[in-house]
Amino acid sequence: MVYKASLGRKVFTFVNVLFLVAITLLGILPFVHLLSVSLSSNVAAMAAEVKLWPVGFTFEAYHYLGKKVEFLRSLGVSVERVVLGTIINMVLTVLAAYPLSKSNEQFRFRTLYVWFFAITMFFGGGLIPTYIVIKETALLNSIWALILPGALNVWNMVMLLNFFRNIPKDMEEAATIDGASQWSILWRIYLPVSLPALATILLFMMVGHWNSWFDGILYMNSPEKYPLQSYLSTLVTSINKKAISLDDLNALENVSEKTLRTAQIFLGALPIMLVYPFLQKYFIKGITVGSVKE
Amino acid sequence: MRKKWASFVLVIAFIMAFSVLSACGSNDEKSSDQPKQESTASADGTGKSDETPSATTEAADPFGKYAETLTVKEVLGYGPPEDPKTPSGLTPDQNAYIKDLKDKLNIDLKYMWTVPSDQYEQKFSLTVASGDLPDIMDVDIRNFEKFKSQGVLADLTEAYEKYASPTLRKFMESDGGQAMKSLSQDGKLYGIPGFEEPFLSTQIMWIRSDWLKNVNMEAPKTIDELEKVAEAFTSGDPDKNGKKDTYGLAISKAIISWGFDTRGLFNGHNSYPGGWIKGSDGKLAAGEIQPETKTALERLQGWYKKGILDKEFALKDDNKVVEDIVGSKVGIVYGEWWYSNWPLNLNRDKDANADWIAVQIPGIDGKPGKSLVPRVRMGHIVTVNSKFSNPEAAIKMINFYIDKNSKAYYDTNKPENGYVYNWFVPRIYNPVEMETIYTEVNKALESKQDQVSEDVPYFINVQKPLDAAKKFLAGDKSGWGLYMSRVSPDGGWGVTRKIRDNKDYVYNEFYGTATETMVEKGAQLDKMLGETFTKIVMGAPISEFDKFVDSWKALGGDDITNEVNDWYQKNAVK
Amino acid sequence: MKGNAIQRRKMRWEFPFHMMLLPGVLVTLVYAYGPMFGIVMAFQKFDPVLSFWKSKFVGWKNFRYIFHLPEFNQVLWNTVLISVLKIGFGLLVPLLLALLLNELTKNGLKRIVQTSIFLPFFLSWTVLGGVLLELFMLKGPINSLLSGVGVEPIMFMGDGNWFRAIIVGSDVWKGMGYNMIIFLAAIVGINSSLYEAAEVDGAGKWKQMIHITLPGMAPIIILMATLSLGNILNAGFDQILILYNPIVYEHADVIDTFVYRLGIFSQQYAPAAAIGLFKSAISLGLVGFSYFLAYRFSNYRIF
Repeated sequence: MVYKASLGRKVFTFVNVLFLVAITLLGILPFVHLLSVSLSSNVAAMAAEVKLWPVGFTFEAYHYLGKKVEFLRSLGVSVERVVLGTIINMVLTVLAAYPLSKSNEQFRFRTLYVWFFAITMFFGGGLIPTYIVIKETALLNSIWALILPGALNVWNMVMLLNFFRNIPKDMEEAATIDGASQWSILWRIYLPVSLPALATILLFMMVGHWNSWFDGILYMNSPEKYPLQSYLSTLVTSINKKAISLDDLNALENVSEKTLRTAQIFLGALPIMLVYPFLQKYFIKGITVGSVKE
Repeated sequence: MRKKWASFVLVIAFIMAFSVLSACGSNDEKSSDQPKQESTASADGTGKSDETPSATTEAADPFGKYAETLTVKEVLGYGPPEDPKTPSGLTPDQNAYIKDLKDKLNIDLKYMWTVPSDQYEQKFSLTVASGDLPDIMDVDIRNFEKFKSQGVLADLTEAYEKYASPTLRKFMESDGGQAMKSLSQDGKLYGIPGFEEPFLSTQIMWIRSDWLKNVNMEAPKTIDELEKVAEAFTSGDPDKNGKKDTYGLAISKAIISWGFDTRGLFNGHNSYPGGWIKGSDGKLAAGEIQPETKTALERLQGWYKKGILDKEFALKDDNKVVEDIVGSKVGIVYGEWWYSNWPLNLNRDKDANADWIAVQIPGIDGKPGKSLVPRVRMGHIVTVNSKFSNPEAAIKMINFYIDKNSKAYYDTNKPENGYVYNWFVPRIYNPVEMETIYTEVNKALESKQDQVSEDVPYFINVQKPLDAAKKFLAGDKSGWGLYMSRVSPDGGWGVTRKIRDNKDYVYNEFYGTATETMVEKGAQLDKMLGETFTKIVMGAPISEFDKFVDSWKALGGDDITNEVNDWYQKNAVK
Repeated sequence: MKGNAIQRRKMRWEFPFHMMLLPGVLVTLVYAYGPMFGIVMAFQKFDPVLSFWKSKFVGWKNFRYIFHLPEFNQVLWNTVLISVLKIGFGLLVPLLLALLLNELTKNGLKRIVQTSIFLPFFLSWTVLGGVLLELFMLKGPINSLLSGVGVEPIMFMGDGNWFRAIIVGSDVWKGMGYNMIIFLAAIVGINSSLYEAAEVDGAGKWKQMIHITLPGMAPIIILMATLSLGNILNAGFDQILILYNPIVYEHADVIDTFVYRLGIFSQQYAPAAAIGLFKSAISLGLVGFSYFLAYRFSNYRIF
């Protein structure tokens, strides 16, 4: 594309790049800090001397982590959860979003369904009843307790259905006349042209599964079944009471080292961050919607 | 439009129908569950007749092995193993204590769940609400009272009488049986108290002795002296680095908390916020609204102005304060006996010159300060579900745990062999452990022995400080934390016990569970206290205090005072 | 007769739709509607030992208790103010960033910027809290910068207004990568032939943005705005709990932190449930209202 840049355009581009680079730094610096802390000596970390460069450089934390079964085990659980959970989320979300993206004329019960789902965005039963339901459906202590209850995220579904609606209707109409079934229209027409939207919700689903920790703690009965983030949350001892017992004290005196904790937090964020660049091309390059007549 | 409403109504109907269904469903579940439980219970009830004979034959044996495996369900508030030598990847179910329990008593301990201690309370109430209580429960006083009043707890009188080991009995009698009595009602014992010596809560003051030397001063005995020392620590360059980068007294944003707070300073002014003090009229009064508290606040305000306190103390939580201590930014901190083993030891690791000593809190009017001390320090209570067939198992398990920590197992009971103490429930400690450690270790040091007495309970806990003390006295700095907190006469416990023996303390007379108004209004009163006190320290007019007292009384404080006094009339140990 | 035939054809046409929805409906029914029996807790004097079946009903007492607490109005106001600011900036900033990013021509730079904007999302407030406090200390980097241009040090975290600004700013910063992706996906979804046509007509970049990009994104923007309204009573729990302090209680105590304090002090489950129900009702009302507004005025159904 030949495009002659005006002076104003050049200035804008320059300022724009500068601004975005500044924003980039803002995002990266906290991680630089974390990495530096994890590579410092524990006393330097405890004395808050580490800023953006390690103080008393040492690999000890990572060395120790390499031998730590707990970390790797929970990493495994997390991966299992992300893979299983994302696949199931995706299937359910796409299947629900497609019919609901139809107009009320095409699908008479649309409004009924949509509100049936939407209500759950606002009302929930709360912790205790949810626990009871999960217990009664025999999911406690199984990875399904982390996957099934949130298998259909209404928010993602609503977003996807809005993306689906923006798909030009002429291809679909042509296919319908050719006698294609709804399933094949969804599969052959909707999905291929919605890749950016699908990539978006895919990322959200993965991140959601990766980041959530509280459900792991509530529904898993033993620490070897904790996903990574639940495990990481056990490393922070916070004492939230007015008197300290001898056991609390033991915990404080032997609390896991700050550098070790930081190393685990850092490593815990890495894998999911690596997924992002793979999905990125869908947000950058548009999908050309073929054969659209204006 | 009408159609839309119709569908909306339909949805609602759907929901209601389903909720009802699900409720019924779980009710059904319940009712099908209940007989099962009852049948096991009754089987045990009938079984009891043929089991009790065998039980009575072994009645005298606190460590008697069950003929048939007894399964015990428990729950566990879990912290990661504290010792880095613990085998990596160990899970609570693989705890060596549990294996030994099976071998020795034929008790199969099953954890229904384990959860990080932070979330314990929440998960416990989920479990309670979903209707399956564990067989043996370690509960706090609040849940104890609740369970007791709902009839959930088993009577342990007989089990204790028959099965308590001599050591457990000794523990329970160490306070004249007070703690146990407080858990009994109508002659029935509902729990085994996990209590500790109340003096563990005594406030003392830790101060950098190397800084004292640098500024040529003595450890302060009165608040006025303390002020001078703290000023010198702030502007006299106590660390001799030529920079004005230190301050006097470390406090965090929590005015009254578990550590790094201002309790000790208030106590030094004869002010006892958070405590209920007996007045001259024999009635209990809340410490936070007394005029002495106002005096202490004025003093703190002056210190804030002078820079003795961190300008930003109100933003810092305990972690941040610890950072200042470790980073040699501050030289004085109020707290309890254990600070030397955390976090002061970290400061010594960081800064080779650093040295800390423990002193009694400074007071006013030329007298040493008197710390607030609770009447009772009961952290947890071991209870048994009344539906559980073998309540004596709880007592036996306590016996087992105490026994496992005696000298006999010193060589095997180690973290590297998979023994994780905080993964075993129920644990009852020696209530006077700190005193035992202090006297035993000092005795051994004097007589130059390498080992403390063989028959001392929790042998490891006593032997470890002795090893540390020996190491430290031989010049190895790493033993300092344990030595200074538990062994040295000038250390944490050394100073604390002197205060105890000199009776330089004031009792907090209220130790009941939260009263009705406390439950309803306590959170607001607490917030108001934190807000007002912090603002006064940072320079708000001191008259704010009088306003605080008025609102405190009006917003529930007066009701709480009445309730506390009612309680006092009925329950207090006079 | 003919009507029936049409009806039947319609049913057959719609049948696959029902099938597609079935799994989602089942899961939602069990795990979202199933627990809703717990709403009764808001009307009970709930006690875990008695659970839902036996706890005593107390009518509206829990609601009265909450609404009559002396600080409730202040807390409600804080919540609404903070969350409105968060919602507003949390939409505007990512939208702006997405548009700016779209103007970048170098794909490599685009990717780096995009990834790093998303990074803070992965850090918990527990981790970020310490970093933020450090940044805004009297001797921290921000104040050093300011003193470079002659401004007296400011105690940011100890000043109610600054505190709110930091709460809002840091939340926007942490979440901007997330929303930006949605906007990017929306931009990418716009038919590129529209741009080509505009270029032929000689429209500049600015005009293309106003006339093609923004209108193309409109449905998504409206959707996001509407859905975020549902969060109007969620001002962020972890973040505020970790950062706040007694001096700024007045300006920073929000519903969730307030409930939390009630909770840890006295395990009051029922008032917390009552507040939850109150929040749900308000969210539903607001979102429902804007749903119907959007439908009424632009004939657009958000969902």
